[in-house]
Amino acid sequence: MSENEKILVMRSITKTFPGVRALDEVDIHVDRGEIHFIVGENGAGKSTLMKVLSGIYSSGSYSGDIVFNGEIKHFSGIKDSVKEGIVIINQELALFPDLTVYENIYVGHEVANKQGVIDWIETKKLAKKYLDIVGLDVNLDSLVRSLGVGKQQLIEIAKALSQDVKLLILDEPTAALNENDSENLLNLLVELKKKGITSIMISHKLREVEAVADSLTILRDGKVITRMDSDEINEHEIIRHMVGRQIDDIFPERPKFKGGKVVFETIHFNAYDRNLNRYIVNDANIKLKEGEVVGLSGLMGAGRTEFAHSVFGNIDEYKISGGIIVNEKHVEFSHPQAAIKHGIAYVSEDRKKDGLILGENIGQNICLSSLKKISKNGILNFFKQSFFAKKYVKDLDIKTPSIYQQLKNLSGGNQQKVQVAKWLFAEPKILILDEPTRGIDVGAKYEIYTIINDLVSKGMSILIISSELPEILGMCDRIYVIAEGLQTAEFDKEEATAEKIMHKATVV
Amino acid sequence: MKNEIKKINPVLRYFYVIISMFRTNIRDYGMYIALTIVFLIFAIMTNGLFLGPINFTNLLNQTAYVAVLAVGMTLVIVTRQIDLSVGYLGAFLGAYVVVSVENLHGSIPLALFSALLITVFVGIFKGFFVAKIKVPSFVITLAGMFIFKGFLMLMTNNRTIPTSNEFFNKIGVGYLSTAKIGGLDMITFIMGILIVILIVVSSILKRRKNRKLGIENESKQIYITKTLFVIFVLLFIAFNLASYRGVSYLLLITLVVMLVYFFFTTKTTLGRRIYAVGGNPEAAELSGIKVTTIIIIVFISMGILALISGVMYASYVQNTSPNHGPFWELYAIAATFIGGASASGGIGKIVNSVIGAVVIMSLKNGMALAGFDSNIEPIVLGSVLLMAVVFDIYTRNIRPVDLVGMYYAKRKYAEEYTKAKQNLKEAKQKLASAKKTDEPLIEYEYELTNAKSQYSRIKNKIRSSNEEDYQDMIKV
Repeated sequence: MSENEKILVMRSITKTFPGVRALDEVDIHVDRGEIHFIVGENGAGKSTLMKVLSGIYSSGSYSGDIVFNGEIKHFSGIKDSVKEGIVIINQELALFPDLTVYENIYVGHEVANKQGVIDWIETKKLAKKYLDIVGLDVNLDSLVRSLGVGKQQLIEIAKALSQDVKLLILDEPTAALNENDSENLLNLLVELKKKGITSIMISHKLREVEAVADSLTILRDGKVITRMDSDEINEHEIIRHMVGRQIDDIFPERPKFKGGKVVFETIHFNAYDRNLNRYIVNDANIKLKEGEVVGLSGLMGAGRTEFAHSVFGNIDEYKISGGIIVNEKHVEFSHPQAAIKHGIAYVSEDRKKDGLILGENIGQNICLSSLKKISKNGILNFFKQSFFAKKYVKDLDIKTPSIYQQLKNLSGGNQQKVQVAKWLFAEPKILILDEPTRGIDVGAKYEIYTIINDLVSKGMSILIISSELPEILGMCDRIYVIAEGLQTAEFDKEEATAEKIMHKATVV
Repeated sequence: MKNEIKKINPVLRYFYVIISMFRTNIRDYGMYIALTIVFLIFAIMTNGLFLGPINFTNLLNQTAYVAVLAVGMTLVIVTRQIDLSVGYLGAFLGAYVVVSVENLHGSIPLALFSALLITVFVGIFKGFFVAKIKVPSFVITLAGMFIFKGFLMLMTNNRTIPTSNEFFNKIGVGYLSTAKIGGLDMITFIMGILIVILIVVSSILKRRKNRKLGIENESKQIYITKTLFVIFVLLFIAFNLASYRGVSYLLLITLVVMLVYFFFTTKTTLGRRIYAVGGNPEAAELSGIKVTTIIIIVFISMGILALISGVMYASYVQNTSPNHGPFWELYAIAATFIGGASASGGIGKIVNSVIGAVVIMSLKNGMALAGFDSNIEPIVLGSVLLMAVVFDIYTRNIRPVDLVGMYYAKRKYAEEYTKAKQNLKEAKQKLASAKKTDEPLIEYEYELTNAKSQYSRIKNKIRSSNEEDYQDMIKV
């Protein structure tokens, strides 16, 4: 194949973040007028690669070459890539909720005369033209805020078209869409292909990939695993390449779970997002037995964290229906406080944002959610605070020069241990761990796993939410898989394999 | 489930359409509702004196300097910033112009021009610190507030300096020339009528052009209702002003500022980019807009309007004094919020903020006229602002509603709905009675949970219905 037919070649792209090699000598190429998919597990480097391509990570912050239309390009910002006709549509849509549909399409490249006076009639006319192309029939004057995500997505594409796009990059465009909207979007991409627009798409949904991909590249741990052309594409092969790594022997042994009474259960549990206008958790029936470790697996955006947030006092203020049963009693949690009272604790996914107060010391953080235990008549007893801080530093082996160390000075693994300690101090019966080992090194992971084993041996029940299949497979007695808010499978430890889980997580 | 539904009564439909529009866009109408209520209350309490020609003209003249500040403040707040310094900045610049003319015998244009240079420089300074250095605007403008108060005291030497120049006289208490026939100023009145005709004709032309391009217009009912309301208000204002002394220079300047900014914010790239930056700064940056530059421009514009406002106020009270300035910026901020601007950025209309200013000054003016204890006035003002902000929060995530669609949906899903409601009721009763006995409750809990989920699903379905969904089901 001659270079000329390739609209894009990225040669040995390497991008490192402090401590992580996000992309490692990545080579991909995309032919003119095709739909190319990039697939891989969470954290494989897909989004990073697209940010390099679109100039969000500017030239110089990575090594390697981007060859677009036969020329080496150096993009120092998104403006440069747009000028060449490369438009990226991120998962976080770059729209202005309080502006109208037509204005959103032309913000930044308005139809205006030299004095900067906008021709609204012409703007509307052009906006309508592009909306017709993407097949979106909305009132031009409506605010983007009032439209569903599916329509917003189409507006982004109309915006891209209005900028004379040659190469359209979509980062998980269908992750937030329902069945219908997803299908419309895919059909649109096929339509655009006929008009000569090349697309690169990141997706987790393999059915989509099978349906429209002309070729694909599989990434794993920042490296290209393989490239497939349309005739080679099949789901099983893709899954094999995506997960294809040995489950390392890093999981401490734990006696086999012998069964116990159900301590936590959700029945037909739904969480409805009023803004997205869809169920973000749909009919979840999850059981947790005494002394059991249960895994909740699924891809990014499947609704795992949303499930935990909804159960734990409906933090995100969804519309909740269905019930929660704790110790055979029907309960309703309108605030985390109520959930804590019933012995539930939630260790959040984003420890820096939702879990810890980085400017405060270890003792303050550990005691934060159970201040009553160390206070009398509303007055804190600092001796007790230090006492418990010391106890947990010792119990969980938190590595710190002193208990008065500010959290921001600890390593990720030790921060995570403080977060766990904080919730252990609240003495929960049920512990929800959301991505307990994200961003921490192998040694610290092992320690966290040991803590988990220790806790269940004392009769605690633990729900682990994780994107890492090995972790789910290595640690859990039972595994639930969810995809797009729906619970798609339940496996016992013995029957679960990475392939099976990935299959259920990608196919609805 | 029914497959045919009777068509809705057209009169009922008209009201449903209007109410749906009102409920969906309630944010845009909050300040009109407030203004109407305030006007009505004071009109009744003062036996109509409040809305009479003399007081109405006074009210608009009093509002002028706040309205001008509120215009600038709107853009500041739209970009998620605040400017606390403009009250004393305006007062200082007013004093600067008055002192240069009265005490130092400088020429008016020179005084105004040098004041303009000062305020532009101050604007760049503030904008630079806020946008580039990322100092919170609250802090930097709070510092400015103290600094300009000091400058004001220095400038006036702590004495009240009366104005005597013809220029201040004209601006502050002058009116455009009049031509009275039977007590009515024909110039004002005819101007009012011309504006009405202009609005009607241009809106009809716009609708026609939209139709030609195949762009959807707002429904006829809504358009006619709105237009009639606007005509009524404009004619009322024109008649009222014409019955007294016509249009004052203060009012004229305010109108010009308002129209220029209206044009600027709705028709120019720069103006629209301000709103884009306020609505979503990251997306704005990704769309190729220079956020820093935009914020600096907004602070410059605020400063220029502070200058205009300061000169207007000094002219209006015919002096400059170290006591000018306090609370101006807070009135302007309050006017902006009452006008429906959102503290989280991206939302705020020029005209609405001006109306917010009228609401505030109506409260001050009306309470004085109705003979309230003047100590009560700030309490009332504060309460109104509080209500405005609470209103803003409550209506932030309002979902569009289509009552006509709901009307059809209620009929279509009538059976399902009553059944779900019935089930829920039964499940509740069963659980309640089971609680009295020793039976295990878990089965009843399950049942209640199921019934609840069914009920909320059907309710949600009805709530999100649109009229269009039912077109082919309507019985002809």
